Amino acid sequence: MANGLTVRSSIEGLEHIAGGLDALRDAYTKMQKLSDNRGWLYWAGIHGFPQYMCWHHGRVGMGDQLPYDLFLPWHRAYLLYFEHTARDQNNAAALPWWDWTSPGAHSVGIPHSYSVPQVSGKSNSLASGPMPAMPPNPAGHTVRHPRRPATLPTAAHVHSLMALGNFVDFTIQVQDVHDAVHGWVGGSMGVVAISAFDPIFWSHHCMIDRIWYLWQLRNGVNNIPADYLDKPLAPFALTVRDVLDINRLGYEYAQSSVTINA
Amino acid sequence: MAQKKITRKSPVTSKEGDAPGPAKTYVSSKMPLEPLQKPFQRADLIFDGVDHSGATFEARVFLNNESASAKTPTTVQNGYAGSFHIFGHGGCFGDDVGHCEVRGVPRQYDPRPAHPLTPARKVLIATEALRRIASRGKHLTVTVVPIVLAGTPKCDYENVLKFDKISVVTYV
Repeated sequence: MANGLTVRSSIEGLEHIAGGLDALRDAYTKMQKLSDNRGWLYWAGIHGFPQYMCWHHGRVGMGDQLPYDLFLPWHRAYLLYFEHTARDQNNAAALPWWDWTSPGAHSVGIPHSYSVPQVSGKSNSLASGPMPAMPPNPAGHTVRHPRRPATLPTAAHVHSLMALGNFVDFTIQVQDVHDAVHGWVGGSMGVVAISAFDPIFWSHHCMIDRIWYLWQLRNGVNNIPADYLDKPLAPFALTVRDVLDINRLGYEYAQSSVTINA
Repeated sequence: MAQKKITRKSPVTSKEGDAPGPAKTYVSSKMPLEPLQKPFQRADLIFDGVDHSGATFEARVFLNNESASAKTPTTVQNGYAGSFHIFGHGGCFGDDVGHCEVRGVPRQYDPRPAHPLTPARKVLIATEALRRIASRGKHLTVTVVPIVLAGTPKCDYENVLKFDKISVVTYV
């Protein structure tokens, strides 16, 4: 941790460190076995089926006649709560981001650590997650139908979004990139109702959150319409204002970190 | 020792290849180009009222190519202006009738946000494509070709593309 902050790293970076993903895999394994409100089905079920609390696209409501779009702050709050829930199972766990713009991603697609079915003779909890019964369908596990890696979004396209100075404009465009990746993975990740049951969902959204963070570094942490600030991010005990600064939320994004004693 | 292969099947999702046939393409009526013929720094195609209750798809947008289809290469020569994407809800998994019906205008003092299936607005930044069209002709047609990426058996793949209107907006 840096200054007590949780450091979120890239999946590719962690794949090059022995045991880099062990804590996360351990946390997910334990969550996937729990049937109560600490478990995988409970937390993934907040997004789509059965609770449908996720926020996508502009909507009116909460007393407003003009639409507003809480896609970015809502998912930031969601990931924060989920990460703490994962850390209850393994305190060293931290959400890694899946950089789908990297040369590696454009070569292999889904990271190897998230696709290999077994690790050390046990089921890999990063490769698939449990899903509830959705009548008339029985309970099962997530599946993916990824497309060609070269068709993932490019670094150049993401870079072009950084120049969009208006938050609403940026939200619409980054949300479209987000939508494209969900469609690219396909299968369970491909539809809102069940996407969060797939372990790669969390790392995909970690990348989206990181892109917002990088945009904030260039365009201002508080660059968001003023009427958004006090909007609640149900069901989390946070408002939009609360989630603007990731350092105040206790985490940071870093490619690498070196610390020495003075 | 051979690694045990674990095959898991999701009972819910279907692959794009499971779609019964191609999704229907949209072709607009002719739009006048005169408003585009003043200089602009940016030009957008804005799609309002886009339905996202069903399958997930890529919407490929072609300008002045009414015969564009899923097989049309996405090139400048074919009038390709870019794509927008819809992350669909995958159909209705609620227990009872009405679960996926979008509530009307929020009543006074209702603190809840609007229904999650409130139709979306998608903005395609198409500056260069519209600049090329504006320099050549008098009219503009917009063809939208949906390419289904994911869904469930509850989805109507053929009619996945639904929206209320298109606007062409330029900015100085």
